[in-house]
Amino acid sequence: MRLRFIAAGILALGLGTGLVAWQLSRVGIHQGYAPVQPIAFPHKVHAGDYKIPCLYCHYAARTSRHAGIPPESVCMNCHSLLEKQTAEIEKLLEAVEQRRPIRWIKIHNLPDFVYFNHSQHVLSGVACQRCHGPIEQMDRVAQASPLTMGWCLDCHREEAHLAATGVERSLAALTQRPKPAAGLDCASCHY
Amino acid sequence: MSCKSSKDEFIQIGEAPASWKSLAELRSGLRPTAEFPGGLPGEGQARPANTRRDFLSLMGFSLAAAGLAGCRAPVQYAVPTVAGTDQLIPGVANFYATTCGGCPSSCSLLVKQRDGRPIKIEGNAQSTLFGGGTCATGQATVLSLYDGERLRGPLWKGKPATWQEIDQRVGESLRAAQGSGRAIVLLSGTITSPSTREMIAEWRKRYPNFRHVVYDAVSYDAMRAANLEGFGRAVIPHYAFDGARVIVGMEADFLGTWLSPVEFARQYAQSRRPERGFALHVQFESGLSVTGSNADVRVPVAPSELGAVAVALLRRIAAKAGVAGVPEGPEPAVEARKLDDVAEQLWRHRGASLVVSGVQDQSMQLVVNALNAFLGNIGTTVDLALPSLQRAGDGQAMAALVDQMHRGEIHTLLLHGVNPGYDYVDSARFLAGMEKVALAVSFSDRRDETSSRAGAICPDHHFLEAWGDAEPVESHFSLAQPVIAPLFDTRAMQDSLLNWSGSDTGYYTWLREYWRKNLFPRQKEAPDFDAFWDRSLEAGVVTLAPAGPPGTPPFHGAWAAAAGAIVEARRQALAARRDDRYEVKLYESVALRDGRHANNPWLQELPDPITKVTWGNFAAVSPQLARKLGLTEGDVVSLRAAQAQLQLPVAIQPGQEGRTISVALGYGRKLVGKAGQDVGVNAYPLMATRDVTLQKTGRRDELASTQTHFSMEGRPIALETTLEELHQPEEAPEAAATLWAARPEGEHSWGMAIDMNACTGCSACVIACQAENNVPVVGKDQVRRTRIMHWMRIDHYYSGAEENPASVHQPMMCVHCGNAPCETVCPVLATTTSSEGLNQQVYNRCIGTRYCANNCPYKVRRFNFYNYTQNPDFDFNMESPLGRMVLNPDVVVRSRGVMEKCSLCVQRIQWAKNSALQGKRELADGDIRTACQQACPSEAIVFGDLKNPASRASQLHRNRRFYRVLEELGTRPNVGHLKKVRNPLETA
Repeated sequence: MRLRFIAAGILALGLGTGLVAWQLSRVGIHQGYAPVQPIAFPHKVHAGDYKIPCLYCHYAARTSRHAGIPPESVCMNCHSLLEKQTAEIEKLLEAVEQRRPIRWIKIHNLPDFVYFNHSQHVLSGVACQRCHGPIEQMDRVAQASPLTMGWCLDCHREEAHLAATGVERSLAALTQRPKPAAGLDCASCHY
Repeated sequence: MSCKSSKDEFIQIGEAPASWKSLAELRSGLRPTAEFPGGLPGEGQARPANTRRDFLSLMGFSLAAAGLAGCRAPVQYAVPTVAGTDQLIPGVANFYATTCGGCPSSCSLLVKQRDGRPIKIEGNAQSTLFGGGTCATGQATVLSLYDGERLRGPLWKGKPATWQEIDQRVGESLRAAQGSGRAIVLLSGTITSPSTREMIAEWRKRYPNFRHVVYDAVSYDAMRAANLEGFGRAVIPHYAFDGARVIVGMEADFLGTWLSPVEFARQYAQSRRPERGFALHVQFESGLSVTGSNADVRVPVAPSELGAVAVALLRRIAAKAGVAGVPEGPEPAVEARKLDDVAEQLWRHRGASLVVSGVQDQSMQLVVNALNAFLGNIGTTVDLALPSLQRAGDGQAMAALVDQMHRGEIHTLLLHGVNPGYDYVDSARFLAGMEKVALAVSFSDRRDETSSRAGAICPDHHFLEAWGDAEPVESHFSLAQPVIAPLFDTRAMQDSLLNWSGSDTGYYTWLREYWRKNLFPRQKEAPDFDAFWDRSLEAGVVTLAPAGPPGTPPFHGAWAAAAGAIVEARRQALAARRDDRYEVKLYESVALRDGRHANNPWLQELPDPITKVTWGNFAAVSPQLARKLGLTEGDVVSLRAAQAQLQLPVAIQPGQEGRTISVALGYGRKLVGKAGQDVGVNAYPLMATRDVTLQKTGRRDELASTQTHFSMEGRPIALETTLEELHQPEEAPEAAATLWAARPEGEHSWGMAIDMNACTGCSACVIACQAENNVPVVGKDQVRRTRIMHWMRIDHYYSGAEENPASVHQPMMCVHCGNAPCETVCPVLATTTSSEGLNQQVYNRCIGTRYCANNCPYKVRRFNFYNYTQNPDFDFNMESPLGRMVLNPDVVVRSRGVMEKCSLCVQRIQWAKNSALQGKRELADGDIRTACQQACPSEAIVFGDLKNPASRASQLHRNRRFYRVLEELGTRPNVGHLKKVRNPLETA
């Protein structure tokens, strides 16, 4: 009887510790983060239904580390010609009228100690959806990926034709390593 | 004498080393350095019952548990602009050409602008004068833009006012001045802007009682007067050190602060490549300057003896040239043999030699002119046809102005770029004179010693906010353009002048019109003015054919009379010499120059290239004098002259002339801002004196010097070689055995070669690194505790006798070891070697054990003892939102408890790789230039891919002079140095 209590205690403690450890490992991960934006901009309509290329609005992604939120003038390239009006479009027109920038809520946040460059990835042929998920199906954008270092490295290892798992890694060690296409050095992202 | 490259030079503790950093090391030999200079915490104290550590360990779990529940990241916003532009893409840096306003040398710059903010100054490689280099002051000017002490708008009688009010009141005053018969005077520093000079000429036409007085705190007017007498032009020649095979300097710190140091350092390095021609450099000077520390032969001479040296050289050269008439007189206290040899070398290379002097004495300058004329250097290395316009101050006009102010003859006084309330020799008299002026208007950007007494302050833009132009050397033009909208309600001085003279054009229009009228017709390439303007603006520099007829007037100065005057002055000085009187030599320090940048914390914390003292000035005395008077470093002494008395700490300087005490100008500002206020002592009051007495005060003020921060423990680190050795056949180097397994190699292998022969020690790289890599300023107290954060330092080694040692400047940063000792001791793998040969420090992984710093043989790792961005004790620039605007967004700001060090500018490597990717091309050699390399005026630092055998860095790694510091430890560094070579003064 006493042994059973002790066993149950150990089990409970183990579970508890495991739970805390799991919780701890999730600190700072905001997968699924989908805040309400000041204007309910539907990517589904723009990128999905009308098939506007991502880089039309997020043109900076080709040249800059930031993909950039388009200035209102880019929205008005089309919306000054379109007749359709909704309550949300009214908000945009009002902001343009008042020359007031829109305070969008940033969804994909990396810590300061990580350097991420959009242009490097776009020019290397990485599809936007690879990190941002099926954005063309989203009405309200949610963070699709965990944005953890492990998640980054999974892809970098794959692109570098390096093994991701332990078994693969030991197998790969026997064969020759090809030239890595994606950086695996710490200083590729941390400086 | 010097440290040779053999490896068997390990020296026992207690033995004097061949090269040394401090006198203690030289005299009593090596001692093991204290590992913890401040002592260990808790050492010698009883341990309290409940320590902070116990408390923390108890709190740890509960905090973690509580924190987890409430874990939520703060909401971040992304706010785009209303209207987009292809000129400004967030995250993409633009470079704009402009002209430096840090001093009247007016170097051409490229300014890096990120997200609308200028964040880094670089040299403009298109400039034929200055090349791509800069100086430390120029690098630091970007921080002055974000100085919180700058005025937010104009002031009238000390109270904020609007520009309309100011314009109305100044207008009234100018009208009143015209009726009063009293003068309107613009007192300015040297103005190199031709368009501004024309505007001032227009003022003269509009207001008949208007005058322009040019005043430089450190004046060159004796030189201008001598050239007026000798050549008929009151100018300063444009020198060509690159055309000289023999350079003789007499108290002219042309590599540090004199006239145009960036340009001269570039020329100097070109003429002193051991592989090609190698010019001989002889320097006669009293205190050890940057220039003197680079000289092949340096002769310590008291300031009163310098004239005699010049006359003695003139006597020898005149004899060789067959010119009679040099007055007889006693020889100076310098070995006659040495003077013979110098004269012989000068004569042998006549037409390709150069004598320069920075002594503010007309007779001396006439003798120097005569020397250059007899040597046939006029027109070759001394150009008077296209002279330098970088200093135009007139001390006599200034003295006359002060008298007139006292007599009440000045009605309205406009002050631009000057601060005589601080730097005039009799500043109290100037300020008293200002009281008698009806209205004084200052264009100063802050309330300083002078502007605070002015009726109105009309703050001028920082040069990065303003349009402008410059003509540093005749027919060499440079444009300046704003790279940021004015941060505050400031207005360009030219706009104010235009407004007050009743013009309704702005300065931009005026500038364009000036260029259209005066420069455009002199060029042939551009068909219309707009094309010419756009091209000039993009390039930043324009060199035009000379406007006037070429040719230099022959030298016709009364040199014999000048030499006679020198001989007579010296005779009197010798007769008046007393044993308890010492000569004082005032000089501009490399960091602060004349003091206008005193509130720049980067410059305050820049170690002086010679003494490595930060945050303050000192009285440099020779070791002999210190011994005689029983002075130790840090003793506060009182220097007394008839007019002034100042108290400052002693620094014992090897190589200092025995009877001379050197004191840096630019310190001791009374009203400048938080960083510079009351740092050091103002030495300008001693400007008029030569002899001082010295008394010990008994107080002590420990210098914050980095010279002895890290001991080399007697190991050969800064190596030298000789020209003969270079010409001997090379021995095959033996490959060092290694216990390490080979690492997988990446596509590149980054490395660097630093030429210690080209490095002058000017320290531009130190500030460039600080600006590029967000290196914090830590303050005087922390520097004393060896906690300076600079990633790049320049070590100054001496060798030889303490009376006149030879110097080596060795730039030192992380050498990126192949087998890094730091790596093996890191318990958390926070420092590793990348596939491309970089030793990478991962800040977010670092837990701050500091094992790596202890195990690093090069002592290049820096630890963040505080959170410098959020700690009000470190209120320099990173603590305020305005000062943080200078930070480079591509480099993370490190927090407390983290180790950091040189990354070989990995952000620039990444940027260049990405640019190559965008341009769909391969990386080329030279695409990546580290911040230190970019800033270096003498191109001493070369970065490149060591896997590419054709890269410049690879070539230098194969150079005969190349070595790796402490190679014998098996660290396999990727950063190596090229040994120093000296040119021996050949005996005839």
